[in-house]
Amino acid sequence: MNVLESVRMSWRAITGHRLRSVLTVLGVVIGVGSVITFVTLGASLQAAIVGDVATSSPDIAATVGPAGGPEGGPGSAESIPVFTEHDIEQLQGIEGVDAVIPTGQVGIAGLEYRDDRIRWPAVTATTAASFDEDEFADGGPFTAGANETVLNPAAARMFERNVSAGDEITVEFAENDSRTLTVAGVLNESTGFAAVGGGGGTPAIYVPTDPFYTTTAESPATGERQRAYPQLTIRAASYEQVGAVEGPARDYLRNESDASQLKPASYEVSLTTNDALVEQIQGILSTFTNFITGIAVISLLVGAIGIANMMLVSVTERTREIGIMKAVGATRRDVVQLFLVESIILGVIGSVLGTVVGLAGGYAAAELIDLPVSFAPEWFAIAIAVGVGVGIVSGIYPAWDAARTDPIDALRHE
Amino acid sequence: MTDAAVELHDVRKTYRMGDQTVHALDGVSLTIGRGSYTAVMGPSGSGKSTLMNVVGCLDTPTEGVVEVDGVDVTELSDAERTGLRGDEIGFVFQTFNLMPQQTARENVELPMTFQGVGRSERRERATELLESVGLGDRMDHKPNELSGGQRQRVAIARALANDPAIVLADEPTGNLDSDTEADILALFEELNAAGNTILTVTHERLVAEHAERIVHLFDGEIEEIEEIAERRIAGEANR
Ligand SMILES: Nc1ncnc2c1ncn2[C@@H]1O[C@H](COP(=O)(O)OP(=O)(O)OP(=O)(O)O)[C@@H](O)[C@H]1O
Ligand SMILES: [Mg+2]
Repeated sequence: MNVLESVRMSWRAITGHRLRSVLTVLGVVIGVGSVITFVTLGASLQAAIVGDVATSSPDIAATVGPAGGPEGGPGSAESIPVFTEHDIEQLQGIEGVDAVIPTGQVGIAGLEYRDDRIRWPAVTATTAASFDEDEFADGGPFTAGANETVLNPAAARMFERNVSAGDEITVEFAENDSRTLTVAGVLNESTGFAAVGGGGGTPAIYVPTDPFYTTTAESPATGERQRAYPQLTIRAASYEQVGAVEGPARDYLRNESDASQLKPASYEVSLTTNDALVEQIQGILSTFTNFITGIAVISLLVGAIGIANMMLVSVTERTREIGIMKAVGATRRDVVQLFLVESIILGVIGSVLGTVVGLAGGYAAAELIDLPVSFAPEWFAIAIAVGVGVGIVSGIYPAWDAARTDPIDALRHE
Repeated sequence: MTDAAVELHDVRKTYRMGDQTVHALDGVSLTIGRGSYTAVMGPSGSGKSTLMNVVGCLDTPTEGVVEVDGVDVTELSDAERTGLRGDEIGFVFQTFNLMPQQTARENVELPMTFQGVGRSERRERATELLESVGLGDRMDHKPNELSGGQRQRVAIARALANDPAIVLADEPTGNLDSDTEADILALFEELNAAGNTILTVTHERLVAEHAERIVHLFDGEIEEIEEIAERRIAGEANR
């Protein structure tokens, strides 16, 4: 029997045994759906807890300082602009790197907001990637190339009148070089910008490197004059990847980078991470990975048993039909093929619906207990594969078994 | 008759129920010639259906040899026996055994589907067969929407779908009124005249007398083989 014919016959059998088909699909929906719901709930719980613990992003700070000295933390190194745009580009190419954020100081003479002039030594030039959307109390990050600025809360408070997003402040870059910048956003209190440590108390004013950062160096790799920074923040895509990023980044910066050639001979490039935090978060992540795997395997098992049960009962109830088919000339292969196609159709319909139901269920449950919704798609794939696979095996096994004996035995089945 | 369609040699079918043994067939030897028309009679439980099932390759005897077209079917593989059932033998079950979810026409198409007959051809032939058993107006009914006699006629139409050389009919007219019964018997006579071998079970002497001979079964054994001197002809009696 050709495949088209068996698809046609199987579809006919599915619509013919409507209640049985609906129940079987329901079995698959519940099986696949519960796996996806529980895994989504676990992943969301993980995201919530990591979010609470992770007060900063998975960052690695790169600085230069005297060799042999203590590893220079952020800000402690001398401000030698050695990291070029070329270095940034190269670092961005490393697997697992989410962003490379340069920081540098731009010396200024003063600031003015509504006739209130303050003498101020410098603003911090960086890129928009250094801010998270949820770090802002007001407004958002600045746009590269625009006359915009971002203030931390201390900076917003240091004028006579509080500054908020949308206001304009005047920055006196040099004598006779004043520019009016729009405040794109004000950070919230809890934000600790790891790269400059500009959290709570000290006022910090951030401007985009383009166009305000003007310190340059000749890049040995390209021969061009490029912007050069005293410090870079290498942000990993996740906490798990911090370790994987750190090695290649260190190798590159120490051996091949422009920085390794621009720095004084007695200095070396050092990379710093918040080891305690990274370790703690990695611990949480591995605990949760085990936890999610556990609930996924259990719900997969429960789901698989449910699916197998529905299929086995449904096909066994049709033993007589298998007897009839064999009696009128169906080979065992024909019978198995029919039930295979039928199981695939039911399994796929059930899996698709189960995925939708599972996603909706996981989403609703996470929302209900106020978790940030987070998905674990690899488990969706496993749930669907197991759902369809178990459906097929438990669908064709009884058919194959019934088609093995004399038709009269199958016909006698009640 | 030199050419046998079916030959049985000392066939036994024994069921063991606890310490009780039932000999459904107890040493049956029989030759059914090609193109012959044989009726089987006997009391209830005498082994008629068991005999039909064994000849139709639906059941395997406990002992003995069953030859169809000179081939010992007890030695054949499952696939080979399926092949025989598919294109050599048409079987009318005593209990009809129709697919409950399929319409009359789909039921008749079923054996052709498994033989790989194309869709339109299948449909055409099923329609033709159902019309010949007087069910032209019930093609799209499911078995549970048909009367017992109508179901029986669907089962007959299905048995004839692949134009089988051997037609095995277990009480094919058991549920029919005399007019419809005569139609079915006429159909069998027509098939027989065209060279098909027919083996039918019946409880009614009048029906059995349409055959060339009657095999009388009793307690799983052949009691007597009776040649009919003057066959009844349904076609003439009715029309
Ligand atoms: N699966 C079985 N298990 C046990 N005994 C069986 C089985 N099938 C048939 N028998 C027995 O075999 C004997 C013959 O049964 P069979 O169905 O061949 O009778 P029959 O002649 O067709 O009767 P009827 O005229 O009532 O249809 C009966 O006594 C029956 O009880
Ligand atoms: Mg019987």
